[in-house]
Amino acid sequence: MRASPLRGDLPADDPARTDAALAGFIATIARHDEAALRALYDRTAPKLLGVILRIQPDRGAAEDVLQDVFLRVWQNAASYSPAAGRPLAWLCAIARNRAIDGLRRRREVQGPINEDGEDWVERLVDPHDSEGTILGRNALQACLGRLEALHRDCIVLAYCEGQSREDLALRYDRPVSTIKTWLHRGLATLRGCLDGAA
Amino acid sequence: MSAGTPSDPGASSGDRDLRLAESVLGTLDPAERALVERELATDPAARAARDAWERRLAPLALTAPEIAPGPDVWPAIARALARAPAPPIAANDDAIGPLRRSLRRWRLATGTAAALAAGLALVIALGPSRPTDADGRYVAVVSRGGEAPALLVSVDTRAGTARVRPVEAQAPAGRSLELWYVGAGQAPKTLGLVGSGTRGLSLDGLTTPAAADALADGTFAVSVEPEGGSPTGQPTGPVVYSGRLIRD
Repeated sequence: MRASPLRGDLPADDPARTDAALAGFIATIARHDEAALRALYDRTAPKLLGVILRIQPDRGAAEDVLQDVFLRVWQNAASYSPAAGRPLAWLCAIARNRAIDGLRRRREVQGPINEDGEDWVERLVDPHDSEGTILGRNALQACLGRLEALHRDCIVLAYCEGQSREDLALRYDRPVSTIKTWLHRGLATLRGCLDGAA
Repeated sequence: MSAGTPSDPGASSGDRDLRLAESVLGTLDPAERALVERELATDPAARAARDAWERRLAPLALTAPEIAPGPDVWPAIARALARAPAPPIAANDDAIGPLRRSLRRWRLATGTAAALAAGLALVIALGPSRPTDADGRYVAVVSRGGEAPALLVSVDTRAGTARVRPVEAQAPAGRSLELWYVGAGQAPKTLGLVGSGTRGLSLDGLTTPAAADALADGTFAVSVEPEGGSPTGQPTGPVVYSGRLIRD
């Protein structure tokens, strides 16, 4: 099932996954403590698998990516610093990067793969959808709402599903250069909105 | 791919920030990705800008639904850890990232005058992956600024070899880079030239366990030499990478 990005639980309220708790596990993992890696896995693997599955819908391949993510966490835990972002966001970034890397390698062989993320993108852009209110308090949601729909959709599909410029060009039947322009305009507007709101 | 031509490095900062944003999105083409990797490796401002984009967009990642992994995933991770229990170890590409990051776990003493004169920050980390490891393998990352590794040096005291893998180090045209080990109070001992591939170099007297322990008291240095290496057996050109090794 392809779930809406708006349906996911926002994890900040879960005390077992506070920034301090997760950062503590990561610091302990840096000393090669396997129990700490297991503890981190138990608390974050479902979220990370959710992140990966949006990009890599094949369950087996997604679980391979998840395994790779935790091996990288094992190797790279010492590099984590709060300046790089909150712990769960850091983990999500690793998961996204690994999933997208795998997707790009596969597509070099197989060519683009059609995705069916339309439903939740439309939900994201519909200000009247009650599920949209989950993110309503979030500055990102508010600022995404101000973008032109096509610009926003391209950004969300790239970020959440790992779609490339070429994928988006096929989806919207536009030249790759147009997609790049849309991405840049959307990102620039987003930056101005978010930084202005901060 | 004509539309994907990367902006030239001298393009405006706005172009660069959007390129960094796209690196977070994952939409850059390979040439642009390579450009961004270079920027991130050499420019703290680029890293800060990329981190800012990660923070801006992170809430979108957190909207992913939670999906429990199958029961086989953790056992597979545990088996993989058992095969490679102590990062960083192996001198392969996958080790470079973790090695680079592990630099922060060692206190770094920097600053030979020659390298400072060359305008390069000095960072070398050398640590046994585990102090009690019996396999006699040591790894060092030689890098500028603590980020992009220039060289990866793995030392096997049992086999008596040092393997040197250049990552980003580049010799000026017509010159060679030569790797030296400088023990405490000793003259530099050449470990050979930094080539274009992985090289096995004799460690000579560095192979006994006692000498291995002493490795951490010494210094690795890379100097620029005439093509083919120093004609004198001692460094003759400027030291471009160097650092004291201190184990935590």
